[in-house]
Amino acid sequence: MRLAIVTTVLRREWAETVRNRLLMSTILIPPMVLTIVPLVLAGVVGDRALPPALASSVIAQRPEWATFTVAELAGAFAVQQFLAFFLLMPAYIPLSIATFSIIGEKQARTLEPVLATPIRTVELLSGKAIAALVPGVLAGWVTYVVFVTLASIVYGPALFGVVTDASWLVGVFVLGPAVGLSSVVAGVIVSSRVNDPRVAQQIGGIIVVPIIAVTLLQATGTLLVGAAGYFILAVIVLVISLFGLRTGVAMFDREAILTRWR
Amino acid sequence: MTTPDAVMIRATCLGRSFGPLWAIRDMDLEVFRGEVLGLLGPNGAGKTTTVRLLTALIGPSEGKATVDGLDVTEHPEAIRARVGILTETPGLYDRLSATANLEFFGRLYGLDAATRAARIERYLRLFSLWERRDDIAGTFSKGMKQKLAIARALLHEPTVVFLDEPTAALDPEAAYVVREAIESMRRSGRTIVLATHNLDEADRLCDRVAFVRGGLLRIDSPAGLRGSLGARGIEIGLAGAPTEAVIAAARSVPGITRVEVSDARLVVSAEHPAAVTPALVRALVVAGADITAVHEHATTLEQVYFEVMGARPDRGEAT
Repeated sequence: MRLAIVTTVLRREWAETVRNRLLMSTILIPPMVLTIVPLVLAGVVGDRALPPALASSVIAQRPEWATFTVAELAGAFAVQQFLAFFLLMPAYIPLSIATFSIIGEKQARTLEPVLATPIRTVELLSGKAIAALVPGVLAGWVTYVVFVTLASIVYGPALFGVVTDASWLVGVFVLGPAVGLSSVVAGVIVSSRVNDPRVAQQIGGIIVVPIIAVTLLQATGTLLVGAAGYFILAVIVLVISLFGLRTGVAMFDREAILTRWR
Repeated sequence: MTTPDAVMIRATCLGRSFGPLWAIRDMDLEVFRGEVLGLLGPNGAGKTTTVRLLTALIGPSEGKATVDGLDVTEHPEAIRARVGILTETPGLYDRLSATANLEFFGRLYGLDAATRAARIERYLRLFSLWERRDDIAGTFSKGMKQKLAIARALLHEPTVVFLDEPTAALDPEAAYVVREAIESMRRSGRTIVLATHNLDEADRLCDRVAFVRGGLLRIDSPAGLRGSLGARGIEIGLAGAPTEAVIAAARSVPGITRVEVSDARLVVSAEHPAAVTPALVRALVVAGADITAVHEHATTLEQVYFEVMGARPDRGEAT
């Protein structure tokens, strides 16, 4: 694989992405919303206490929160729900970019001239995959850093400690990229079969279902996933993604693109 | 010109199937260095498949092909580096400028920065696009897009250029510009394979024409193909509809094989039109015909096309 060719594809992908207003709005707006909403919610919860049964369940799963005041415990529980939301960015942003990129090329019929050059399909696919993956993962990381900074300023050390504990760090910096990879794989597979980016995103959107399930389990206090849990999830997602990648690479085969992609 | 070294493209029993369907089969073809070869055939005849096989975009199901001495199966990357292709649709990145489009492809072909810059300027100037170099391709007319796509196909100075329907869906003015561009490539000595529906275009631009329909049906120069239909003729324009006496007079001239009447015209077939024309004109005048025009009735490539295509049963639809 020639790095210069991959970089060339990557640069062209990004040059087109920044000129696509619809795509840019789907990349930029949600991270801004996701930075603000958790902090506002933590403030709204204010001095309200968790129901005693829920508080007991939360402390049983997170013994380190036992020293928190009633308000800190409520705020920590509220903010904890949003860790899963930070996984949504590496999930949907790569999906959006990959589907727009591949289906856009199908619709404009730009792939055949590219495939007629000495480029290898693995170089083309790598360029596209990296171009889709990096913005999503970076958006998740940057949003998280902004979120942590604001949380420490507004709510003090207790909440800061919550959003920088191992579960958050593993979730954002390990599970996030794994989710991003699975999103790219889903984007490639779905895009080879449909011709409308929105349809592809809806089908590929199935990837966020596990994330929403984790959110629901956390919201009800049934399960507060810790660092080990997020790490195991990351490994599972990675393994599934790598299996999916084989299918994606097969679907991205030069002959398949030219003769079967419609 | 027919020595082995002069052969730029050689296909031997080349075939490609998609599932149970053969798009092209048993194709034996040689294209010589510097030659313009036309691929003519109806939709689904296998022209695009042939182009894709010869540009190493897809692999053959049977047979073999070489381009500039390289086997398409063994050296696909090297072949793609040596050939330029204009696909059926221009396939440009509409959100990028003309320069950015060419810059991208220049990098894919491994051209260094100085070479890229020089060639981009040369080809944009050649196709009168230099003044629009920073405009995004999406704002270009169809003709301009097609010219930009041709510039892209030539950027790496390929030895062989494949043009798939270069003037399809273009207005006459744009088509003229593109044909001029092809003429320019031809003058520069490139080998060109032109897949087209446009018989007039093939007649004007090609040294040889290959009729394709699921395989190679016939290949020859346009003149050779026209001559292959045999009888040629003379068209006589008359002041009015010909009388029975005039028709009989025409039929009586030695060397005339057939006489057809069409309004105020006689179309006369003969093996050697020039030889029989004086006697024919004299006989018609004697019979009372008022002749307004006499010219040779040449067989068109279109007539040859229908003759050739009608002679072969369908092998099924191809891609």
